[in-house]
Amino acid sequence: MTLLEVKNLKKIYTTRFGANQVTALQNVSFSVEKGEFIAIMGESGSGKTTLLNLLAALDKPTGGDVLLGGVSLLSIGEKQISAFRRDNLGFVFQDFNLLDTFSVRDNIFLPLVLAGKRYDEMEQRLAPIAARLGIADILSKFPYEISGGQKQRAAIARAVITHPQLLLADEPTGALDSKASESLLHLFGELNREGQTILMVTHSVRAASHAGRVLFLRDGEVFHQLYRGAMSTEEMFARISDTLTVIASGGGRTPEGGLDD
Amino acid sequence: MTRNRFFYARLAAVNLRKNGSIYLPYLLSCIFCACMFYIMLFITLNTGLNKMPGADTLSFILRLGATVIGIFSAIILLYTNSFLMKRRKKEIGLYNILGMGKGHIARVMALETVYTALFTFAAGLLSGILLSKLMLMLLLKLLRFPVPFGFEISPVALGVTVVVFAGIFFITLLVNLGRVRLSKPVELLYGGNVGEKEPKTKRLLTVIGFIALGAAYIIANVTENPIQALLLFFIAVLLVILGTYCLFTAGSIALLKALRKNKRYYYQTRHFTAVSGMIYRMKQNAVGLGNICILSTMVLVMLSTTVSLYLGMDDALRNRFPKNIEVTASRVTAGDGALIEETVSRTVADGGYTVSAASSYRYAVHTLSRDGARFGFVGEFVSAATGDATVFFIPLEDYNKLMRASETLGDGEVMVYSPNATFSGDTVQFGGQAYKVKKVLDELDMDDQFTFLVNDAFCFVVPGDAAVEDIYNALTGGGREWRGLNYYYGFDLAAGSEAQLALTAALQAAFEDFRGAGGADLSVYVTSAELNKSMFLDTYGGLFFLGIFLGALFVMATVIIMYYRQISEGYDDQKRFDIMQKVGLSREEIRKTIVSQVLTVFFLPLVTAGIHIAAAFRMITKLLFILNLTNIRLFALCTLGTFAVFAVIYAAVYALTARAYYRIVSTQNTI
Repeated sequence: MTLLEVKNLKKIYTTRFGANQVTALQNVSFSVEKGEFIAIMGESGSGKTTLLNLLAALDKPTGGDVLLGGVSLLSIGEKQISAFRRDNLGFVFQDFNLLDTFSVRDNIFLPLVLAGKRYDEMEQRLAPIAARLGIADILSKFPYEISGGQKQRAAIARAVITHPQLLLADEPTGALDSKASESLLHLFGELNREGQTILMVTHSVRAASHAGRVLFLRDGEVFHQLYRGAMSTEEMFARISDTLTVIASGGGRTPEGGLDD
Repeated sequence: MTRNRFFYARLAAVNLRKNGSIYLPYLLSCIFCACMFYIMLFITLNTGLNKMPGADTLSFILRLGATVIGIFSAIILLYTNSFLMKRRKKEIGLYNILGMGKGHIARVMALETVYTALFTFAAGLLSGILLSKLMLMLLLKLLRFPVPFGFEISPVALGVTVVVFAGIFFITLLVNLGRVRLSKPVELLYGGNVGEKEPKTKRLLTVIGFIALGAAYIIANVTENPIQALLLFFIAVLLVILGTYCLFTAGSIALLKALRKNKRYYYQTRHFTAVSGMIYRMKQNAVGLGNICILSTMVLVMLSTTVSLYLGMDDALRNRFPKNIEVTASRVTAGDGALIEETVSRTVADGGYTVSAASSYRYAVHTLSRDGARFGFVGEFVSAATGDATVFFIPLEDYNKLMRASETLGDGEVMVYSPNATFSGDTVQFGGQAYKVKKVLDELDMDDQFTFLVNDAFCFVVPGDAAVEDIYNALTGGGREWRGLNYYYGFDLAAGSEAQLALTAALQAAFEDFRGAGGADLSVYVTSAELNKSMFLDTYGGLFFLGIFLGALFVMATVIIMYYRQISEGYDDQKRFDIMQKVGLSREEIRKTIVSQVLTVFFLPLVTAGIHIAAAFRMITKLLFILNLTNIRLFALCTLGTFAVFAVIYAAVYALTARAYYRIVSTQNTI
């Protein structure tokens, strides 16, 4: 079943006085099946962040549409969009985005409290997730008291506690050391095997090699995509590296399948 | 080298322009302070004022005003400057990393300070010179004094202003340089976002705050005696300041944490973000809010009292002088009294005046201790009430004349009257001697003696002069010399100010080298309401002027503190706003929670100031009593009026700064 469908997405930024137009995205189309773990790769300025903002309905596209579970994000009014985001999307960010005014527990509860859930229910939902992510004993601590890896686990707990249809991750390993990164990526893998659909934006080859499919963005367009198939993480790593080399050396594009070398 | 110098000069100028939104309010407050300081000095040094009657009081008040403005300017500018530097840490860190040494940065900052100073002197002194005449006119108008023509500039005031403000700017520069010198570039670069720790609950401080504030409120509401009130007022003020700071810093956080512990309350959409946000807001702003609260209270007390004193001045004058003209003397026998009256009548007749409502009597007054109907000696009457009661004695003869009565008293019999207490009992005891109370009187026209009663007052009508002396000896046990009776003669004159002053002068002349019935020297003192009016005007008008002036300064300080608080909060909230939106809070909901938090933080000081004023009301009326203002209704109206005006200004400032705040918060950055 197709969970997310991106159709001919286009985003043009206009500078303040309309003098310059910058095309951030054009003609981007792809779809994400339920249960997929997909990575979007690209260099700085390739449009990754713009794409994520559009998928999260934090920004409006200039053209095209995004459908989540068959519902067009454009059709949702300003009033319902926050509730829609809260119920259907989970976010994990590079800089964690935990609120330092809340304890870890309250940070995780935030989306549930906003949804008006009862305290007992929140506790019930939290217990298994906290145990699963290994953060049960730091729940009462504050973000400034815990390590980067722990912060990112807390952020994941916050993202998944609402049982979102789609988990969006923006450079989740960007601020972590290699050990914490590795354990986080394993966690993503496990969550994915349990059925969680994940869409991750990254420029780390290591991170992307854990995904089931990798989309390459260049200059605002989908340049290439790579399926994992039966490859191991190491083989995937090698393939992604090769692809990036080709992109970097200015190779031509083939929308589907292999590269024309 | 010249090009290099030019580069720094330009960099400094560009810096000031680029940071306009935070520099402009600073610059404006510098100009405002300098302008006010110059005006106050100009008026203090104005030679015309020294020729006024009672100029000493006025010049003291104005001098005090200038000093307060100078000190306050230094405090407020240093505070504002520290805020500016906090905001600019990153910029300075960047310069450092880009290769500017700390010496270069110091040079840029020195140049910035020089520009600020030059601009302040130019604009502040110019506006000061322009407004000084206006302010002088206002003061003279308040003092009901004719306004002279001409326009003056006081070079001394200009010089002093430049020196004082140059000093202030120099200190701010030193503080800034010290801060740059002590910091590492990386710290400067990330200066804005160091992780905040959650504030600790300080139970002890909370308890101290409650006790201090409670004690202050109790003192303010149980003190009966105005003299005691005067002494205790300063203690109460200190306690209120202590209590306010303690409760704002510790109490607020203790309360919020208690709310957070209540899970059913805390985990609700509306309370969740508000309570946790407020804990941090209070941590950062408690002292600032405490400052605003204290400042607001000061402004309100100062304005309400000075306004009501000024408006109630005629009342106060009438309270102090129930009769237009009064003639007083001491050690006066019945014969002396008749002679004085005769002299007054002759002088009045000579001048062709018509007087009315004349009353005269002889009396003695002592400060006594009181236990029911027993009185004991404390001391001769002094204006400060140390005993339980102020007790007057008046011979029957004088009473009958004063009240046109024909009472009789036997030996050992007295009659009693009290203007502010009740006397019960058939006998009264003075020292070891008992007297029979024949009658309790309903009225006694001795208003002039009752104008300044700070404790219970009684007036005993006794058979004759000898009885007053007997009682005195009984009270003191014969250990003190009897000094005879005082004399009072007061009357009204229905005529204008000049006639009042002329008659007063004529009477003063008539009583020069006056000899009593026995032929001995008798000093008789003549004064009038009109004669004292200018002194009242100078004091109350001067205080009112100072009240307005300092009120304006304090309001400016409040405004500037609020503005900078709003701005810095805006920068802090920007990030929070952003995250919450991503987690699924709508813009509208975020706006609502932020509005409610900001409103709470903003209006907390005003509401607290209102509570302080309400609690202090009773005590302040006692203090005003010392200044002869007894019109509580007038004071209540003035208090309400000033509070209303202040609240309107406060709300206007909120509206303005809230806009700056939203501008910052809504420059949202997505993922």
